[in-house]
Amino acid sequence: MTNTDVIVTESVTKVYAENGVPVEALRGVNLTIQAGEFTALVGPSGSGKTTLLNIISGLDAPTDGKVWLAGKLLSGMSGNELSDFRRDNIGFIFQAYNLIPVLTVEENVEYIMLLQRMSKTERHRRVIAMLEEVGLSGLADRNPPQLSGGQQQRVAIARAMVSEPAIILADEPTANLDSKTGADLLDMMSQLNAQTNMTFVFSTHDPMVMERATRLITLKDGQIESDEIKT
Amino acid sequence: MGIRVPLLHWLVYVLHLTFYTMMTLKIAFRNIFRQKRRTILTALAMVVGFTLSSVFIGWSDGVYSDIIAMFTQNRIGHIQVHLNDYLDKPSLYKTMDDYESIGETIGSVKGVEAWTPRVYSAGIGSVGEKSTTVQIIGIDVECEIQATRFDKKIIDGRELSAQPMREAVIGKGLAKNLAAMVGDEIVIVSQGADGSIANDLYKIVGIAESGDDITDRLACYLHIGDAQELLVLEGRSHEIVVIVSNINRVHKITKAIEANLNNLTLDVAPWQVVAKAFYRAMQADKQGDAIGRIIIMLIVAIGVLNTVLMSVLERTSEYGVLKAVGTKPGQIFWLVVCEVLIIAVGSIVVGGLLGTAGNHLLSIYGITMPQEFTYGGIKFQTMYAEVNARSLIIPAITVILSAAIVSIFPALKAARILPARAMRAH
Repeated sequence: MTNTDVIVTESVTKVYAENGVPVEALRGVNLTIQAGEFTALVGPSGSGKTTLLNIISGLDAPTDGKVWLAGKLLSGMSGNELSDFRRDNIGFIFQAYNLIPVLTVEENVEYIMLLQRMSKTERHRRVIAMLEEVGLSGLADRNPPQLSGGQQQRVAIARAMVSEPAIILADEPTANLDSKTGADLLDMMSQLNAQTNMTFVFSTHDPMVMERATRLITLKDGQIESDEIKT
Repeated sequence: MGIRVPLLHWLVYVLHLTFYTMMTLKIAFRNIFRQKRRTILTALAMVVGFTLSSVFIGWSDGVYSDIIAMFTQNRIGHIQVHLNDYLDKPSLYKTMDDYESIGETIGSVKGVEAWTPRVYSAGIGSVGEKSTTVQIIGIDVECEIQATRFDKKIIDGRELSAQPMREAVIGKGLAKNLAAMVGDEIVIVSQGADGSIANDLYKIVGIAESGDDITDRLACYLHIGDAQELLVLEGRSHEIVVIVSNINRVHKITKAIEANLNNLTLDVAPWQVVAKAFYRAMQADKQGDAIGRIIIMLIVAIGVLNTVLMSVLERTSEYGVLKAVGTKPGQIFWLVVCEVLIIAVGSIVVGGLLGTAGNHLLSIYGITMPQEFTYGGIKFQTMYAEVNARSLIIPAITVILSAAIVSIFPALKAARILPARAMRAH
């Protein structure tokens, strides 16, 4: 493991028990992702993309194997340690946006910084800047249900990036968006990646994501089938 | 400097904690208003439980207060003073010699409203050809009127004269047994303290009804002077009955009287000791009421648990997201508890208003039973509630506690959610 390795998995296996029948979602995945990469995990449905993303982020635990994130071994962390680690190191973008419906756009973006005990002034400054960045300046007081899908995903992106985490994990971020909105958001993320050197890992079926990704990891039946680094 | 830096850190920590708590409260509040129907259902269960419990307590307290007031004010008083051991083994010979000076000392204690001496003995009363056992009660008429409103008990004729005039007032039941009327003469035969046979003739000037059938079947009230003469107890009494201004302070006043008298031969006892059996029966009754309240709150708790569990189940995905972005399990736990407690506090306010209004109305109009009933020998037909702090504090504590307890399980469920699995539930 080198200093630039932000995600490392070692022989990661995940077995689900579906109706008592064991289903192997991941089978000995070894993966290393370096800082600043714009990586896409691709593959057919059921290939293990989302499972891998969940295990990388500590949202789910592997049945076997080890995961290091930003140099820290996730297994063995307590629930609170994992929460703190996710809060400080990972930004999430979900297919279903997953915003907190009772909070306004501004409060959704601010929430993680509040957990991080950031000062009010700094929180405010960052929220304003981030909403400007994602083109939602005028919608700060709206609630998520009052926004379109594209706008909600922009809020999710702002929430994921505002605390400047080392890693952004995005699960099918464009799946619920029209192609233009999807392309705009991807361009925005690509730009942010270039500007901030944040590591982006996507799980996707979307050719637009694959097109922009600098690395393409193809999963099949819970294993890495191919790993292509674009030049 | 060394002190200032930790202090500053502490202040910053408190400030952040406050901001986070405000955000938790904000989320909790908005979640409450987001699910209006469920919130109303949950609150309704709590409001109904609170109001029922409040009225239940107010009403039973009102009834008990009435019973205690009648039992003490009309009969035994709030505090009694006797010679040691008189209460356990009453005897004609266990008398206080200087009862008037004892009474004056008692009267000087703060909180004492009135005192009255009494002389007791048993005897046989005869009117015409009818005879029966009687309880001779020698009373100081003026003191008795002041202390136990003796004049209000006279249902026929008049009260005794202020001076010893060989007059008697007999209980309603006794009058019936002896077929006696006002104006008749009653012969009382007893035993004098000197061993002689005591007997004398008294004119019945009044019939009394105390509200206690047993007393009314036996009581033969004489002027204390007449009773002392009959029983050869000049200048002595068996009992001093004390009435206090606030019955809730009876134990404190008992201690104050004891301290002021400073006489080891005297026994100063509050009504709870004087009427042990009555007091115990009432305490047992109150415990029975507590079981009723517990059942009410249990029904409420089950209703609340159901709605809170449904709410947590519906928002599984949200809790998953909160956890995914870094909210700690403990913070999610408090968020759920907070929501339930906010509803509980709101319900307490509404329930408090309804409960107070209900108790106020019942304290004015009461509830009249189709038939008269007797408690501790005292007859009741209409029962009145009372508005007191207990009828608000106990339901409030019960609602808060049961809300907090029933929210623990759903809160733990939410806190222990696995984010990946929870978000799949969306």
